[in-house]
Amino acid sequence: MQRLTYAQALQQATSQAMELDERVFLMGQLVDYRGGVFGTTTGLAEKFGTTRVRDFPVAESVMTSTAIGAAITGMRPVLVHTRLDFMLYSMDAIVNWLSLWRFKSNGKSSMPVTIRAIVGKGWGQGPQHSKSLHAWFAHVPGLRVAVPVTPFDAKGLLLESIFGENPTIIVEHRSLFSLTEDVPEVPYRIRFGRARIRRPGKDLTLVAIGAMVPIALRAAEKLAAQSIDVEVLDPRTVSPIDTAAICQSVMKTGRLVVADPAWQSVSVAAEIIALVTEKMGDRLRANPLRICLPDSHTPMSSTLEKEYYPDESKVAEAISSWFRR
Amino acid sequence: MTKINHQSILEASAYHDLSLQGTDADTVRKLYYFMLRLRRCEEALSREYHPADEMRCPVHFCIGQEAVPAALNALLRAEDYLFCHHRSHGYYLAKKSPMNELFAELYGKKTGANGGIAGSQDISSPPHNFFSGAILAGAAAISAGAALGAQLLKKRCVTVAAFGEAAMDEGILWEAINYAALCKLPIVFICENNKYSVFSPQLKRQAADNLSERVAAFGIKSVALFGNDAIKVHAAVKVAVDDVLNGHGPWFIEAYTYRWCGHYGPESDDIVGYRSEEEVDFWKANCPIVLLEEAMKRAGILTDAEKDRTIRDIDAEIADSFQFAKGGDFPIITNWREVNLSSNSPRADELLTDIDFVETEFDVHQAVKQAKGY
Repeated sequence: MQRLTYAQALQQATSQAMELDERVFLMGQLVDYRGGVFGTTTGLAEKFGTTRVRDFPVAESVMTSTAIGAAITGMRPVLVHTRLDFMLYSMDAIVNWLSLWRFKSNGKSSMPVTIRAIVGKGWGQGPQHSKSLHAWFAHVPGLRVAVPVTPFDAKGLLLESIFGENPTIIVEHRSLFSLTEDVPEVPYRIRFGRARIRRPGKDLTLVAIGAMVPIALRAAEKLAAQSIDVEVLDPRTVSPIDTAAICQSVMKTGRLVVADPAWQSVSVAAEIIALVTEKMGDRLRANPLRICLPDSHTPMSSTLEKEYYPDESKVAEAISSWFRR
Repeated sequence: MTKINHQSILEASAYHDLSLQGTDADTVRKLYYFMLRLRRCEEALSREYHPADEMRCPVHFCIGQEAVPAALNALLRAEDYLFCHHRSHGYYLAKKSPMNELFAELYGKKTGANGGIAGSQDISSPPHNFFSGAILAGAAAISAGAALGAQLLKKRCVTVAAFGEAAMDEGILWEAINYAALCKLPIVFICENNKYSVFSPQLKRQAADNLSERVAAFGIKSVALFGNDAIKVHAAVKVAVDDVLNGHGPWFIEAYTYRWCGHYGPESDDIVGYRSEEEVDFWKANCPIVLLEEAMKRAGILTDAEKDRTIRDIDAEIADSFQFAKGGDFPIITNWREVNLSSNSPRADELLTDIDFVETEFDVHQAVKQAKGY
């Protein structure tokens, strides 16, 4: 075990993947500069050269297309977008080509492409640097979507993506990059669709997605002081999503809250509630609750940002008043 | 280089420049045979399309545009990659993918090239390194990646991106051209300029009809030519492919040509009034097959008897392909997830240890550091 930050865990996963297989290569703007992309690509250009660690033109669309073409020849490309918002230039490549490539080839051609998309938060990132669109990608068949929260998960899910056969989008929240955890040195994998209980509890199930996990855990501590025993479940991947684990938890607690760092309408939070109510709505002791971002674009001003993003106090208050209703 | 565009071609009225000189008879026969086979194939599919209505997918026929696929058929090897647009049949056959699987695909059968899942405008034949797609310029952009993959793997092969001039309305194609030039990718871009995006002519969509000049500005070797002269097209593609294989970076070829039929399906769409009768007549009079055939007859390397025999062979293959397609079963999908996502990951199995979680507590009290900037 070694103590790594989230950024270091991503860097290590990439470095190990490139050592294990020379067909793995990295593309993204500024990936080969000192410091790398928030520490996640540091040292890779020096170690593997700029042929495999490729700075890319400001052309996200063809970057994704290029990854698709390279995958056809047997390569395993990893793309990184310093902000998910820029990646939207490549929606055609992702939705019209990448996601359905295997399908339309009738399983004859696979697409081991990994796309890392970083979501900004705070310091006035504003509406074009802060969108967490995991729900969009999870909506599209043929894509896998991971939302790792801890360094351990970041490394294992990135390696699993790189050496899997399916296109994968990893949504990484910038606010998590300095968090630390013990991480195994070996190259390891975490399978998709396996949730993790981050805190056991008996009164309600709080499914927290991505950046909401640490906030949910701290809110759970506040609620424990009010004698509300919260089980916090981190799905780790939203496509596929571990429906069984979520239902099992709700079966125990009888109550469901979903905290999702995205707009509320047509969200993954909505999907989770639909999944649970479809399967076991009659076992719920209360109507489910969503704690999401308002259905609004992100404001810049710091006071408005504070209002916009739910923090642990707001999550605790929302759950407390809902629970006692 | 004399400037060429649709207007200059029309003004010249008849084309007299086709010359067999410098092309060996074997290649000439190959080009002719391929174009004839493709034409017969498209005509047969057109006849069967309606009223039988057993091919229940959009089909874009390439009648009149046989020369470019013929040149590629003669020049590309198994290891080379070919990506094209929705008007796919010529390219599919150019890469030596089997005709019967093409037909079965159009009929939506399990025995089709993609098990009946893709149809005409999305067909691929991965074993033959052939791929297509219906969204303009998307496949051309992907081809830059195949060329990059080949470059990274040090494979000696060429990737060909074939598209129409309408794909050059799209920004992504220019991103791909820039990247190909930047990295000296082993790729040949071939633009079949057939003037129209469905009904809309090039000069209604683009500020100028100088695509080859625009591409040349990127430092890409670039040529524009009359695309119904199969010999000329073959010679240009050969120069490009050889140069690319020798590591000298990308090429761009603009081949002026014309689609005889409507944009989609077997019927004419001329009722819309988007093109003149004279224009259609000109291009029909300058048919790529007839131009070559006349030259071959003049050179004494084709007789009527040989032509009849070739047609008989081709028609027999077409009849067999229809039989194969019609006789095949329809596909059945029981697991929708399986057809979209692979459930196997052999490379991960080989290289990675399974660790689902570690029994250390993730410290929730650690401070989330707000980056002051990005």
